[in-house]
Formats: sequence, structure tokens, C-alpha cells
Amino acid sequence: MKRLLLIHGAEVIALLLLSAIPLVVNNAYALGLLTLLAIYGILLIGLDVTVGYLGQINLAQAAFLGLGAYASGLSVSLLGFGMISALAMSLLVGLVFGGLLAFPALRLEGPQFALATLSFSALSETILNEWEGLTGGAQGLQISRPALWGHPVTAQGFYWLCILFLVIVWLAMRNLLSSQWGRAFEALRDSPIATDAMGIGTYRHKIAAFALGSALGGLAGGLYAFNFQYLQPQSFVYELMVILLLGVVLGGRKSLWGALVGASLIALLPNLLSNRLLFQIISILGFGIVLISGGRGLIQKTVRPFQAIAPMISMGLLVVGAALVTNTEDWRKAIFALMLFSVVVGLPEGLMGFAARFLSRIFHVPPAPLPSPASLDAALPAKSADNVPLLVLKDLKRHFGGVHAVDGISITVHSGRIHGLIGPNGSGKSTAVNVISGLYTPTSGSILLHGKPLPGNMFRVARVGISRTFQNLQLFTELSAIDNVMAAMKGVYHSPLPMVLLGLARREERRAQSDALALLELVGLQRQARVCAKDLTYGAQRFLEIARALARKPELLILDEPAAGLAYPDVSNLIKIIWDIHQRGITIILIEHHMDVISELCDVVTVLDGGRVIAEGSAEDVKRDPGVIEAYLGTANKITAAGVQELSANPG
Amino acid sequence: MITAQIVVSGALMGLVYALVAYGFQLTYATSKSINFGQGELVMLSAFFSLTLLDWGVPYWLMVPGGLLFGVLLGLFVERAAVRLALEQKSEGWILLTIIVGLLGFSAAENIWGRDDRPFPTPISSDALHIFGVSITPVEISVAIGVFALMGLIELFKRKTLLGKAFEAVSADREAAELMGISATRTVMLSYGLSGLVAAMAGILVSPITTVGPTMASALILKAFSVAVVAGLDSGFGVVIVGIFLGSLESLTSFYIGSGWREAPGLILLILALAARPNGVFGKAGIRKV
Repeated sequence: MKRLLLIHGAEVIALLLLSAIPLVVNNAYALGLLTLLAIYGILLIGLDVTVGYLGQINLAQAAFLGLGAYASGLSVSLLGFGMISALAMSLLVGLVFGGLLAFPALRLEGPQFALATLSFSALSETILNEWEGLTGGAQGLQISRPALWGHPVTAQGFYWLCILFLVIVWLAMRNLLSSQWGRAFEALRDSPIATDAMGIGTYRHKIAAFALGSALGGLAGGLYAFNFQYLQPQSFVYELMVILLLGVVLGGRKSLWGALVGASLIALLPNLLSNRLLFQIISILGFGIVLISGGRGLIQKTVRPFQAIAPMISMGLLVVGAALVTNTEDWRKAIFALMLFSVVVGLPEGLMGFAARFLSRIFHVPPAPLPSPASLDAALPAKSADNVPLLVLKDLKRHFGGVHAVDGISITVHSGRIHGLIGPNGSGKSTAVNVISGLYTPTSGSILLHGKPLPGNMFRVARVGISRTFQNLQLFTELSAIDNVMAAMKGVYHSPLPMVLLGLARREERRAQSDALALLELVGLQRQARVCAKDLTYGAQRFLEIARALARKPELLILDEPAAGLAYPDVSNLIKIIWDIHQRGITIILIEHHMDVISELCDVVTVLDGGRVIAEGSAEDVKRDPGVIEAYLGTANKITAAGVQELSANPG
Repeated sequence: MITAQIVVSGALMGLVYALVAYGFQLTYATSKSINFGQGELVMLSAFFSLTLLDWGVPYWLMVPGGLLFGVLLGLFVERAAVRLALEQKSEGWILLTIIVGLLGFSAAENIWGRDDRPFPTPISSDALHIFGVSITPVEISVAIGVFALMGLIELFKRKTLLGKAFEAVSADREAAELMGISATRTVMLSYGLSGLVAAMAGILVSPITTVGPTMASALILKAFSVAVVAGLDSGFGVVIVGIFLGSLESLTSFYIGSGWREAPGLILLILALAARPNGVFGKAGIRKV
């Protein structure tokens, strides 16, 4: 209750304050600034979806603002649209172009993604400039603010309309980002491979996130057009993009409040800079902040020296510049650059991230309580272990150029069994698993599940009931343990997107939470449910991977060297966990180097060497197989027992 | 005939794009990062070289001076914008190099002014006629400069110990570190070389385009296109793509309109990223887990 009061109380106060200002302050200029603040708020919330949640540098948001603005402007002047339909048009243009750009940008990460968005912005600027017949080119486009359902809208009324849109966007995005969608976006940022392997789907979420962020950019553009009533392509260029990034980063990523704080700063910034005295005060304040926070970080050794010293130099330059330069307007870009540099290096979590830590210490906002764990039967329904062929590999091959990593293996895995897969390093175990789980397409041969061929991509394979863990951990590192499990949860989330946006999907959330708790209990992590995955111990991270894989309610679970690097007590825990999973009738393929783990658990063991099967049978049988001994220890025929005796009898 | 003329002068411009794109390859090889503010390096080096000439430094001495300035800028970018992000294994360098570029842009605007200025050169710009196509010695000097610098750097990478360290870090950073090669120093070296390449591009292109704060903002977009379309690890693939793109855009500019000259590069970049994210001449990596 206290929690709800604090969080929503702050929102309501901010809303009341923002809405009441025009009643007190009767000044057209101030009203214009406030309107811009609300518009930037919407724009930055959209930008934060890609920059904060997807973790990609998106340089196209200014272009979407421009496209949205022209869409609204033109649909009013050419098609005679009213206010609402024109804004809907802007939203649609953002959504469609965002989706279109997301398709080629789909497979891209990091710099390539940034470049694709940068090209898109440059391209849309070219088009707005050159398509003079439609946009008026560099001359600009004059727009009159259309009526709202037949009523003319005053500047004040328009401000309240913008605030209304901001509130709607705020609420919808809060619902969305705290739902399965938000988790999927973050999962995608932390590990695209696991996002597919857990059946969450990278492509759909990347497109959705980008299209959504762009749609908000388009909407903001529509409002922007009706606010300024005059458009020029030059307003939506690279410099604005950098300012927008400044807003998101300075405010704080992954935070609605951060977007609002960032929006206020960038809306007011040009005014703050044009007054020299004000600018000097701000730069000195900023310098003070980096001195204190950097100095403290240095003394406590929580930051690298560069992270403390570089912002000091940068803000120091700003102070010196503020004292020397008479016309700050000329140096605007440099001022943005120095401020942004200090924030990115010295305060990477932004103002709100900084404030949130501070505020939570004062107010002690407890996290929402977790429900009690569900029964294991609900979270992980038992399967009948009827010992029929479940997964069949037929003459499976995977070559990388001349390397025959998997060179014709045929294995049958029976349902309900624990099937061991062993072999020396480089024998093709991991490649085989990567082919089964769809990461690699087979060079030849077939993989059948229940007699039907498996689809050849990771996402679809995960959807038909095969789940896996990774030898090199692929957790969603920034998510908590319980969110890691919930992100992969199957069969709980059914609500369509509109319901999620309206916040009507909370029951599913509770159910997912209690199911996830049950799975965490199974692997012994129920007490660490709220701990961020990257802060767990190595052993706990391995167990969390298993719990996450189980959230898929898999028919077949592939464990890729789950004991690698585990301390001894953890190995015995692991054996117990695998046994418990086995008891629920789930078929398991276990890849392992620890022979004791294999001997204790596996019903049948397949041994690989050089990409081929060299033995198969019970653990005891394969241990005695001469071919297996040779593969692991090398040939023994050169020095026979007799030979050794002979050697020792006749030394020299 | 007019088409041939357009293609040839476009192709020569394309060589400059290829040179800047080559600078991206150098840093990408060692650190999987590129300088998003590379255009500002080109521009700042050109301005600095122009200032040297204004001070009365002879042309032959100005060139090494300008190149040295480029190296220093490259090293500054590495220290200020790239090293921290690489240490944290994050992609923060994208934003930080953009920021450093913006700072450089603003500095140039205020130190040297917003206007474009001519860049004097002792090389003649009287056209020679070869097979009916007119080429100026300045344009030929661009081609020679581009190939000479790229050739020298490739020789350096293959024949010297330092260059081999560079190749080793490109091939496998961890293994190279275990062999006692400092990856950080090698990344510094690559940024220094990349700055050198940018400065060379600035000196070569300035007599043709004039010098101004925005001289490289269009150029850099096309260098990005060339680097990505060819592939960031494509070696001399950038030359082929650079020539192709240069000719394509001057054809576009002539037949469609000069405002559209940036369009083919941008469209090509988006399409190439969609179809072959590793570039036409790039190598596809195998995802390992």
C-alpha cells in the first residue's frame, strides 16, 4: 500500500503540477515550452524502448519525428483531416516506416544497427528536402492547427491535449514494459541466442519494439507540427538526434521518469544556454556534481580512474568556456557534447537512476511481494515416460569447410530416459547439440522428433518442445532470477497486446510469478528470486539456466555440460536436480565430462569421437569399451604389459 | 561520352570514400569498433593543414604535419571515447565517438568559421584529355595518394613486427594477449593509423571540395556505406565498392538531380545490411555458444 501510494502519488502530483501551470502562468512563450516538453516526453519514451530496453543506439528517432510531423501536416492541408485522424496518421506512418526499417535492421547489432538508422535519417531528410512538390522542400510547410471534433483548439487547449497524450502513452508503456513484452525486449538485449533458444523470438520483438518506439516518434511529430505550425526538413537533422540521445541518457534509461526529466532538460536547455549567467551557474553546478561523485568513487575505488577524471576535465572545460565565451549560442554543439560526455562516462545510469538509488534509501520502497510458489505439477506438468523413440538422428552431418565436426551420427533418444553424450574435446558433442537445437543447419541427414522432422531454426525448435542450457552461460544478465524464468515461461501468457497495454493482464503475471517460483525452488534458488542474474554465484547461474529451460515445459531437455566449473557440493546438488527433473518424466540429453555424473544418472550413453559415434550402451559398458579407452587415453598397443616387463628387465 | 566522363570523376571520388572506409576497417579489425566521428577527423585535419599553409609552411612539409595531426586526433578518440567502453565490453563507444565528433565539429565552427575555404595546391588542375575523358592532375594525385597509403599500411602490417602484432590482435585478441602482445596498445595503433588515413583523405580531397566544417558530413555517410557494403573485414573490397558507389552517385546526381546524390549510397547500405550483414566481400562468422 505504501509502495503504491509513493509511486502513484509522485505521478499524480507531477500531472497536477504540469496541468495547473497554464492556469497560473499566462505567457505564450512559457506555454510553448511546456507543450514542447510534453511532446519531447512522448518522443523520448519511444526512443527509450530501443536505446534503453533493446540497448541499441537508434539514430532515427529525429527522422520519425519529422516523418510524423509531415504526415500530420500534409493530411491536414491536402486531405482535410481533423486533429485526431491526422495524429492517427502520424502514428501509423511511424509504425509502418519503423516496421519497414526494422526488417533490414533485424539481423543487425550495435554499430551496424546504428549505421542503418543513421542512413535512414539521412535518406528521409533527402526526401523531405527534394520532394518539393509535396513537402515544399527547404522552403518549409505552413500548417494551420485543425479543429478537434469541430471545435477550434487554443494554445492552452492544445497543451492539455499534449499532456493527455503523454499520460496515455505513459500508462500504456508502463503496462507494456512491466509485462512479458518488456522482459522480452531486455532478454533480447542481453542474449539474442538465448532469446531464440527459449522460444521468446528475437525477430518479432525487435520489430515490435522498434515499430512501437517509432510510432511514438510519429505521434510526437504530429503534435510537433500542430504546435509550431511550420515545418522545415532542417529541424529534424543529426543535431536534434544527438540532443534526443542526450535527453534519454541524461534522464536515465529504462525509466519513464527518466524520459520526462530528460524531456524537460532538453526542452529548456536552449533557454538555459542563451542566458550567460544561468549557463555559468549550471556549468559550475555540474562541475561540482562530477567533482563530488567522481571524487567519492575514486576514494571508494568503485569506479575506474578514467570514469572519475574524464567527466571532471569535461565539465571543467565547460566552466572555463562559460567564463570566456561571450556568445554561448555559437558553442551550443560543444556544450551538448561536453555535457553528454560527462553523463555517459560519469553517470551512466542517468539522473533518475542516480536519484532512484537515493530516493529508495530515504523512502524504503519495498518491492511488490511475491506470491507463494505454485505446485510443481502446475509449473512443470509430469510427462508419461513411456520409453518410445522420441528424438531420432539419422546420419547427421555438419561440416564447417573442411572440418567435419559432426560426420554422420545416428542416435535414438527414448522418452523418459537420461541419455548421456560424452566424448573427448572436439568430438562434436556441442556441434551436435547446436544442430539439434537449430542454431546450425545440418549439412545433411535428418532429425526427427516424434517421427516428424524438426524445423531448422532455434526459435521454432524451442516452440516444439526442446529446451536447452548453454555450456557458456547465456543468461539474461540484467534481469532478476525470477524474471529470467518468467521471460521463458510457456503456456501462461495469452492476453493480446491491447489488453496488455490497458493493464488487464495482471493475473497472468501473478500466475507466471508463482510458477517461476516453483521452478526456482526446484533448483534451490527460491531465496534469490529478486537477485539480478549477473550477481548470482557461478553455480547459481548454472542452476538458473536449468530453471529457465524448464519454464518452457519441455518434452526434451538438453543440458550442455551443466557441471562444468562447478564446485563439488554443487555437483551433488546438480545430480539431485537432474534426478528430480527425470522423475517428472522429462527426457534429458546430458552432455558431460564428469564420468561420475554420467554413471550415476544416465540410462544409456553415446560416445562420440571425431564426429562419429564410437560406442553406445550403459555407462559401465562404454567405460570398458576399448575404442572409448583409446579415444580418451590414446593407443595402448605399443607398450603392452609384457613389453613393460621386458623393458624393466633389460634397462638400456 | 558524357557518361564516361561522369563515371570517371565519380570513381575518383569513390576512391576517397574507399580510403576513409579503409580507416574504419583498421580499427574494426583490432577492436570491433569504428569511429562514428571519423568525418570530423577528416575535416579537422584538413583545416589544420590549411592553417599550416597559411603560416607559410611549404606544401611538402605540410603533408606530414597534417598527417601527424590526424594521428594525434585518432589517439585522442581512442583514449577519450573507445578504451573505457572496450574495457567494459559495452557498445558505449558508438555514443562516445559521436559525442567527440560533435565537439570537434563545434570547435572547428568557432576556430575556423562556418564558411568554406579553398585549399591551395601546387598540383595543376588543368585538365588532361585521355581517350576523350578529361582528368585533372589533382584528381590523379587523389588516386595515387589513396593507393600509396593503403599499400604502405598493408606492407607495414605484413612486414614489420608491430604490424604482425596488429594482425595477431585482429585474428584473436585473447590469444595475442597471452603471447605478450598488448591489445590496448594495438588498438591505440589502429586508431592512430585510422586518424592518419582520415587526415590523408582530408588533404587529398580538400583541393577538390574546399574546406569547411560540413565538408565531410556527406563524405562520411558514403564511407560508412562503402565499409558496410563491402564488409568491415573485406580488405581491398572497399576499393571496388568505393569506385562503384562513386560512379553510381555521380550518375544519379547528373541524371536525377544533385539533391539525390546521397540517396543511392544510403539505399545500398540499408539493402546490403539486410541481405548480407557481413558485406559483399566480408566473411560470415560462425555463431559459437
